[in-house]
Amino acid sequence: MTMASEVHLKIDGIAVTVPTGTLLVEAAKQAQKHIPVYCYHEKLGPAGLCRVCLVEVEGMPKLQIGCNTVATEGMVVHTQNAKVDDGRRAILEFLLLNHPLDCPICDKGGECDLQDYVMAYGQDSSRVIDGKESKPKAVDLGPTIVLDEERCIVCQRCVRFDELITHERSLVVKDRGAHDIIATATDQPYVSQFSGNVTELCPVGALTSKTYRFLSRKWDNHRAVGSCAQCSVGCGINVDVRQGAITRTMSIPEDVTSDGWLCDRGRYVISFGDDQRRLRTPLYRHREQLVQVTWDDAIGLWAQALQASASPQRVAALGGGRLMNAEILQLQALFRSFGTPHLDWRVGRSQQAGAGRATASLAELDRAQAIIVVGVPPSQSAPVLDLAIRKAVFRHKAQLISVGPFGAGSSVPQQRAARIDEVAGLLPDGTERIVFVWDGIDPQLGREIANLRTQWSTHGRSAGVLVATTLSNAWGAEALGMHPSFGPGYQPLASSGLDTAGIFAAGRAGELDVLSFHGANPVLTWHDASIVREALARIPFVVATDLFLTQTSELATLVLPVASAFERNGTMTNLFGQARPIEAGLPVPDGALSDSEVLVALAQALKIALPDAASLTSLEERALEAARIAPLDCGAEQLAGRRLAPDRPGLQLALAANVFAGGGTTAHDTRIEALRPLPTATLEPATAQRLGFVAGTLVDLHAGAASVKNLTLRLDASLAPDTIALVADLPQAPANLLFGSEPLRLEATRVLEEVAA
Amino acid sequence: MSAIKPVLTKGIGELNLRDLEVYRSEGGYVQFERALKELTPAAVLDMTTRSGLRGRGGAGFPTGKKWSFLPNDGRPRYMVCNCDEAEPGTFKDHMLLEETPHQVLEGILLGAYGIGSHHAFIYIRGEFRRGYEIFRAALDQARAAGYVGSNLFGTGYDLELTIHRGAGAYICGEETALLNSLEGKRGEPRLKPPFPALQGLYQMPTVVNNVETLASLPHILRNGPEWFAQVGPERSPGYKIVSISGHVKRPGNYEVALGTSMRTLIDECAGGMRDGRKFMAVQPGGASSACLFEEHLDLSYDFDTIAKAGSMIGSGAMVVFDDTTDFVKAAHAVVRFFAHESCGQCTPCREGGNWISRTLTRILDGRGVPSDIEVLKSAGHQMTGLNLCALGDSVEPFLASVLHRFEDQFRAYVTAPQAAVA
Amino acid sequence: MRKSLFNIAALLTGFRTTFGYFFAKQPTIAYPDVKKQHAPRFHGLHELRRYADGQERCIGCELCSIACPANAITVIGGENTPELRRSPGERGAASYEIDELRCIFCGMCEEACPTDAIVLTPRFEMADYRRSGFVYAKDRLLVPPEAGVGEAPNERPNGIPSDLGFVAKKKSTVDIQTGYSATHRGTILKTQRRGLAG
Repeated sequence: MTMASEVHLKIDGIAVTVPTGTLLVEAAKQAQKHIPVYCYHEKLGPAGLCRVCLVEVEGMPKLQIGCNTVATEGMVVHTQNAKVDDGRRAILEFLLLNHPLDCPICDKGGECDLQDYVMAYGQDSSRVIDGKESKPKAVDLGPTIVLDEERCIVCQRCVRFDELITHERSLVVKDRGAHDIIATATDQPYVSQFSGNVTELCPVGALTSKTYRFLSRKWDNHRAVGSCAQCSVGCGINVDVRQGAITRTMSIPEDVTSDGWLCDRGRYVISFGDDQRRLRTPLYRHREQLVQVTWDDAIGLWAQALQASASPQRVAALGGGRLMNAEILQLQALFRSFGTPHLDWRVGRSQQAGAGRATASLAELDRAQAIIVVGVPPSQSAPVLDLAIRKAVFRHKAQLISVGPFGAGSSVPQQRAARIDEVAGLLPDGTERIVFVWDGIDPQLGREIANLRTQWSTHGRSAGVLVATTLSNAWGAEALGMHPSFGPGYQPLASSGLDTAGIFAAGRAGELDVLSFHGANPVLTWHDASIVREALARIPFVVATDLFLTQTSELATLVLPVASAFERNGTMTNLFGQARPIEAGLPVPDGALSDSEVLVALAQALKIALPDAASLTSLEERALEAARIAPLDCGAEQLAGRRLAPDRPGLQLALAANVFAGGGTTAHDTRIEALRPLPTATLEPATAQRLGFVAGTLVDLHAGAASVKNLTLRLDASLAPDTIALVADLPQAPANLLFGSEPLRLEATRVLEEVAA
Repeated sequence: MSAIKPVLTKGIGELNLRDLEVYRSEGGYVQFERALKELTPAAVLDMTTRSGLRGRGGAGFPTGKKWSFLPNDGRPRYMVCNCDEAEPGTFKDHMLLEETPHQVLEGILLGAYGIGSHHAFIYIRGEFRRGYEIFRAALDQARAAGYVGSNLFGTGYDLELTIHRGAGAYICGEETALLNSLEGKRGEPRLKPPFPALQGLYQMPTVVNNVETLASLPHILRNGPEWFAQVGPERSPGYKIVSISGHVKRPGNYEVALGTSMRTLIDECAGGMRDGRKFMAVQPGGASSACLFEEHLDLSYDFDTIAKAGSMIGSGAMVVFDDTTDFVKAAHAVVRFFAHESCGQCTPCREGGNWISRTLTRILDGRGVPSDIEVLKSAGHQMTGLNLCALGDSVEPFLASVLHRFEDQFRAYVTAPQAAVA
Repeated sequence: MRKSLFNIAALLTGFRTTFGYFFAKQPTIAYPDVKKQHAPRFHGLHELRRYADGQERCIGCELCSIACPANAITVIGGENTPELRRSPGERGAASYEIDELRCIFCGMCEEACPTDAIVLTPRFEMADYRRSGFVYAKDRLLVPPEAGVGEAPNERPNGIPSDLGFVAKKKSTVDIQTGYSATHRGTILKTQRRGLAG
């Protein structure tokens, strides 16, 4: 029996043709008819709980639910008639029986489906004489969410999101009947990297964000549509602004890149822009003190320092991974015109951002039969990418393999491989479509990925690569010329400049006069803090453009306050190589300039002509197009050729990532305090036992003269033996102080009482 | 006493049918052995279909037809016996489980063989502790005797049986909620389609049958489907255990041929009304069925006739009310039960049942208002037909039938509340 | 002579009007010492009322703000905490401002208010030298605790308020030079933002 691929039906007299298996609620959209829904959601499927999507199907005695009735050939459906309206009225009357109707104080007021449908289909008065069932209000569900049980209509969208999308299964319905409540299965706080999404899924005001609580009404907000700049995925976001302050960010349901979801970092790291510590005026180091100077003076001083340099070879610029595409082009054009070849975007641990034509697309990730995560788990570098991986694993049965000391995310079933050469043995025969998700950190691993790709291509296996980093525009910086060996579009240069390591070495040797950082904080993020500090101490003129006085900019000679990603227009390039639009939701604050304005001013002072806006746009398009087809591969010699960690006897240091670590925006957003990681050191239990440490001990970790103090010891059985893991990029415990070949020494200072007891 | 020879209840109260040897001496397990050795599963299915057996759990769906819905796609199939008997007024499965556990077991095994399943389950209501212990002992005996396990009677057919105890939720008698509960999930009905025949237990094709339905199978095989089909009306044939309770002289389980009149059931089986009391109403099929009255008493007690009269025989639980009944209190008890047992998934059942229950509580407290009558009528009506499972639709029938018949009793509460309470 | 007499008569005729008014009842009043009775349902300056226990009625819901046809009202909500309890329930008004120069005194805010918090009094004296002085914030709108509950708009006999309200001659405590600007409101908004807590 073959099924016809399409069926024809009539909805309210309008003939529509839909694919076989289409649900009526979707088919009605073709006829421009709206069927109200609460529990049904495009991405969660039907649940049949709210019963508000009633429709009349001719030939069926009872009203049917549009969300679980499949369109069949010749069906005649009515979405609006007296019978349907009365059914919906009945359901809405039931829903309002115990609803507190506290719309005036509800954050959802104005954008609430219950309000809207009651206005459209409900009755105008209540027949309830008995009081309403009382349930807990303003329940603290977790660090991010407030729950009002009375407003809840038990559509279970949140529960199903937690089950079907994140696969974490921490939210459940408890009790039964009219006493149903939403709770966590373990009664522990609801902690998830994607918790904020439930506030958008909730059709009523039951689940609301703590950050948006009572701040604004829907109609007060001005909305800018852009992309998130918190990691390399670049999810589409709506930025809501009221009275010059960002009140919230929301996902864009139609956005393909994010699949309509946001991670909590992207959603909640929004108030750094008006933090007290934000720089509002250029600062110049005068007699060891940073003093305020005007912009004219600041640019003049910088230009003067550049012109006073004996040779452009004694000038270098670092950063660009947080700038817009156009700004990166201006930055490299300015310094190359000036004659300096020493440009590099690599100021963190990642040594590579793009993989040229080897780059996998989102569709390839979705269809992959095997996903191999190499290095830092994407859940801690690009969380929404992890959501796409979970979807591929659970929905399309992809096999997940994680290589390295860390698992790829706890809620995902996966195979672990200690070394990358074990991966081939784990893949079953017939695995043809493979995607590597690499952190770009270890070039040696990158080369091994490239080798596997070459080997497999002769066996009919195709393997794409995604390089996931927390830098929002690392791809753009690399592909648009912030690289010592490449110009825009990976155009090879006649002679290479110094890379980041070379620049710091040259600085330490006294061979540099001017070094500028453009949105970079290498003192915290470069693998070896000491060499950066030594270089900065020797270079006479160090410029830093930043939002805050970070670990790096506080050591600079000249600090220039610039605009944040919420205050700029332009494009950034995400890890799929797509240009993502950024729209300014806020004006640049008084006293700050955008990076572009800074570079233009410097170019004028140096009498260098920068490309105009139109040529920048076309240059950007051409360069990105060239970058997407560039014959690159992972760990390529000219991209990254350095082995990072020297050999160290005994205990090995592993750097774990945490999505809320970092010294910039996350460290300067006071509202996400509760989400920031605490300084911890993690050991494998057997190793800890051998070394004589118990969980909860407060320890200091020493390497030679350097030490990181006050780390709480944790145990994790999934960690490799003889390895101690520290969270990287943590300002209060910078793991990059311990870089080197000195043996690691762990010293207990105190056993925390509550753990010991 | 009706004149029929007991079939399912044969020997109860006389023999110790819990003992394997006693059950075997009464012809037990002969049919199972015969089926495995001589009949194909298709033949068992065919006999079941021809017998006209309809489900004894409440809906009265033809058993053979239910089995025939299973797809032939090579996936494992499961037979689940529903022993979560929790309908107020029903107590027949309870008795079968405790008194004739081997008969139930043989029925399950035959049913499992009939659908070609190698793993059967019995879901026993949590409160049936005694029944569970008796059944477990019977299962141990049967396993030792080689009726359960692998390579049964040397035929190479494997059949395992797992006992699962519920946790005391009425909703778990609904087949998909039962399957969820059996899988270790929250006992909530599933959205249908897909039906259990396609995606049931662990997403595999599954048949869920009532205890009495399955217990009838050995007799159908022994006496032939035609023997079963010729008893009672053509479209609902066979023997049925009716649990009669309420204001009668001798409440209890009575096995009758379907088609017996309700008057016979009440007067002859249950010994008539309590002395000096007049018959007022009867629920022919447990708490979720609408009341029938004096004029319906001569109707034949079978699936179709009672359905035509506006009620249902459900699982065969007759609750009889005499003229002392306060139907407001009766309605309150029924509605409160369903409101309490609602799983809370779907809106009409969660909210509507609770609303009606609270309204009735208030009326009984003497704080009713005349508009409450209208609310009771319309709220009951508007929550019916919109629910995810049948529980929500069970609130209205009894309430609506007694409200229609005895509206004066309800009015008395709301118009002169103090007097009615006193 | 006759002509002069005629002139005197004309003069007297003319002065009759003048002298008539001289002795007539005065239509003007000695404002501000004497005040004129306003029309029964006169809409004047707003006030924000309290409950009997002194808690503010306003819950910061912004319904007045969206009902206002002149966009004169800006409300920023805030959460009531045990330390700072403005109103009963979870939500209160962190900031409440009415630009009385924009206001058209239609009373829609009064009708929209779910708690009868905002009420228009008959008071109309709002003179100031600066425009910014007409932006009334909670410091001037909120009645003092001793003012009592007051009448709800629908409780007034024949719609006539029994008093002039309590928004008397309070001086604004907000710095008029810097206050009431969008930046200032943004600052208030930012202070209401709550952090994530475990």
